[in-house]
Amino acid sequence: MGRYILRRLIQAIPVLIGATLLIYAIVFALPGDPIAALAGEKRIDPNIVAILREQYHLNDPFLVQYWYYLVGLLSGDFGTTYAGVGVDEIMAGKFQVTINLAMTALVMEAVIGIGLGLYAALRHGRASDSMILASTLVLISIPTLVTGFVLQLLLGVKLKQAGIDLFPVAGVADGWRSYLLPGFVLAGTSIAYLTRLARNNLVEILRADYIRTAVAKGLPRSRVVGRHALRNALIPLVTYLGADLGTLMGGAVITETIFNLPGIGYQLFNSVYLREQPVVVGIVTVLVLVYILANLVVDLLYAVLDPRIRYE
Amino acid sequence: MRVSKGARLTAGTALLALALTACGSSTPSDGGTAAADQPVRMELGEPQKLFYPGDTTESEGSEVLAAIFAPLVGYDENKQVVDEVAESIESTDNTVWTIKLKPGYTWHNDEKLIAQNYVDAWNYAANQDNVQGANGFFSRIDGWADLNPGEGQTVSTKEMKGLKVIDESTFSVTLSKPFSQFKTMLGYTAFYPLPKAAFGPDGKITEAYAKQPIGQGYFKIDKPYNKGTDQTIDLTRYDKFAGTKPKFTKLQFKLYTSPETAFNDLAAGNLDVHDSLPPSAIARAKSELGERYMDEADAGVGYIGFPMQYNKTYANVKVREAISMAIDRATIADKVFSGTRAPADDFINPLLDGYRAGACAVCSYDPAKAKTQYAENNGPKTLELGYNTDGPHKEWIEAVANSLRANLGIEVTVKPFEKFASILDELDKKTYGGMFRMGWAIDYPSAENYLTPIFSTVAIKTGSNYAGWSNKEFDELLSKGDTAPTQEEGLKFYQQADDILIKELPYIPVYFYRTNAAFSQHVKGVKMNLLNQIEWTEVEKAS
Repeated sequence: MGRYILRRLIQAIPVLIGATLLIYAIVFALPGDPIAALAGEKRIDPNIVAILREQYHLNDPFLVQYWYYLVGLLSGDFGTTYAGVGVDEIMAGKFQVTINLAMTALVMEAVIGIGLGLYAALRHGRASDSMILASTLVLISIPTLVTGFVLQLLLGVKLKQAGIDLFPVAGVADGWRSYLLPGFVLAGTSIAYLTRLARNNLVEILRADYIRTAVAKGLPRSRVVGRHALRNALIPLVTYLGADLGTLMGGAVITETIFNLPGIGYQLFNSVYLREQPVVVGIVTVLVLVYILANLVVDLLYAVLDPRIRYE
Repeated sequence: MRVSKGARLTAGTALLALALTACGSSTPSDGGTAAADQPVRMELGEPQKLFYPGDTTESEGSEVLAAIFAPLVGYDENKQVVDEVAESIESTDNTVWTIKLKPGYTWHNDEKLIAQNYVDAWNYAANQDNVQGANGFFSRIDGWADLNPGEGQTVSTKEMKGLKVIDESTFSVTLSKPFSQFKTMLGYTAFYPLPKAAFGPDGKITEAYAKQPIGQGYFKIDKPYNKGTDQTIDLTRYDKFAGTKPKFTKLQFKLYTSPETAFNDLAAGNLDVHDSLPPSAIARAKSELGERYMDEADAGVGYIGFPMQYNKTYANVKVREAISMAIDRATIADKVFSGTRAPADDFINPLLDGYRAGACAVCSYDPAKAKTQYAENNGPKTLELGYNTDGPHKEWIEAVANSLRANLGIEVTVKPFEKFASILDELDKKTYGGMFRMGWAIDYPSAENYLTPIFSTVAIKTGSNYAGWSNKEFDELLSKGDTAPTQEEGLKFYQQADDILIKELPYIPVYFYRTNAAFSQHVKGVKMNLLNQIEWTEVEKAS
């Protein structure tokens, strides 16, 4: 087991180096001058621009620039933005926000998705089952942008105007409450997918022979559903959740913008736009790491859920 | 009717939500602070950099610095320059300027404000080794060239010979050439002084200072600003401030990534002042806020430019006139921009002294005349129109293209550039031959600022003259304006220079920007100055 984990972690190293190189190359290939992007619509004195370019090694070829970055990274230096702020400083605060957001979303996804799926499966073929199926379809088909703005306006603005301060409109000043609405918006489509996945899976399993045997043995219904059916059904669901964690963290751009959360998604978008290689590569490296770890955790969870699975 | 339905729906959802979360959720948001200590909350985009006054050329950082620092001069309601920290700024020849400070101003660390603080700050910002974005603003001061020998050259001195401290509260500035508008420039961010505490042992501004700048203005910053993490910048009134103090004690800048979100926050009562409403929020702001919605002139201008320097296609001024007359500016301002722009009719913006309504006759819409004039002068059969997609330009550029297609009967293609910088880059390299969009926001409120930096011959190399247009008479009129004994006389020459622009049309002015702001019922008296910054001394808390 320990060796398995170690092997998986060592495998991550070439993946990380490959990812940074690739991302660095992609950002490098984008058109436009990052120093000019810094100036916006104003023009900086050409002399100053030249000095800044020199300072940030922007006149050097791609591999030399990447080398400078890698050397810095090995000594624990994530580099600075072209405005002179440390990348590690920027990332530290922003990842916290995105992790909070992604975790809120993940918990909502798991609780609501699996809960609704289970409920629908147990009422398979009845009206409530069809209603859940129909509403998940609606949720899947509405883009995040729309759910975000509509929920913000209804549950944030209108509710507050009516005197009920339950869901903050924007920002993270209200602690965990700040994440409820954006967490739901971010999780939206995933909740719907997970509900359908859980329902279909459970419907299948509930028809299986061993379930019929368990019922025939006279086991209480809660034990049949909880231990026999749900536990087996969880394997694909956990896989989905694990893969989704990475997506949630990287794909939070729209949600973070709508709800004004100072997270990594918006920062990534902005940094690609400003061509800030060090920030983009730093963030992506951490995201790759999150993916790798989440997958590892998922793989380890399989063994917990199904004792037949063993790792060497 | 839709509103009431929405309200019922929300009420239902609210009850449901309350029931679901049970009673645990009734925690007050910030522990019931007294109403008097509630800050006035203002919308802001994330400042691009930490707070180095000489390196802050963008509006967000400037807005914060303007609350922390007091400028030498301000601008009053009649668009005139008035002394603020300066007691007097005098010159007999527009070359040597003597600046005397009012007594009583202190830094937020209780040190006295002295003339040396200005000299230190300006020498620092003008030195190329310190790579400050506003370096160019000091280029008129004698000795600037010594501090900017060019890339790879070493700077041999740390001081401009044009700056001299006379006594504790007086210093003199010698310019390399006379410039009548110098006093007007002094309200700009780059010209703030710096206290001794700003500089580290190596003579550079420390990062600690840039995170928590010590100023001499009416607000002081409460704690260091962590860029990237902090969502608010909190300020407290500096009670020893010698000038006019604001009527409230706490000011909070709230950082937003999207102006729409900020508007929602304002509607919900979580924000007090929002000065950059997006066109999408205008209709809602008008109907929901009534008097608390503001629509004011803004000093910016939007143009369409011609690459005159290297493309002869547009060489005939009659052709450029026809193109200008074929553009339906009023409809574009009204429909495309929902009234957040005004049709342009001069190169000088109406917010400033020197603007003349209707000065640009060929800026008014005249499709019939445009068509005949274009045909008579054999205008090109195809035109190209470039714009950048990193700003809200696609719609109006398409509208201009449509105007030209319909009214001139020619083929017009639009060419999107990913960034504004890429347009500038191609114009610099002379590889793009089409017409291009351009915009200008002023650095200091003088008519001169619409002319010299964009259209003078020197600005081809060092400024923003992307047309590459050069006119001797124009340059001479500018220098006459620069050397004129009074502001008014200077203005006359600038207007004559403006007339040449209108006759020659290196750019076509298309629209003037407008500022669309909104404020909450917690505040009143919200006003903006000529630099588009809120005048905090005018703002009051309501009730």
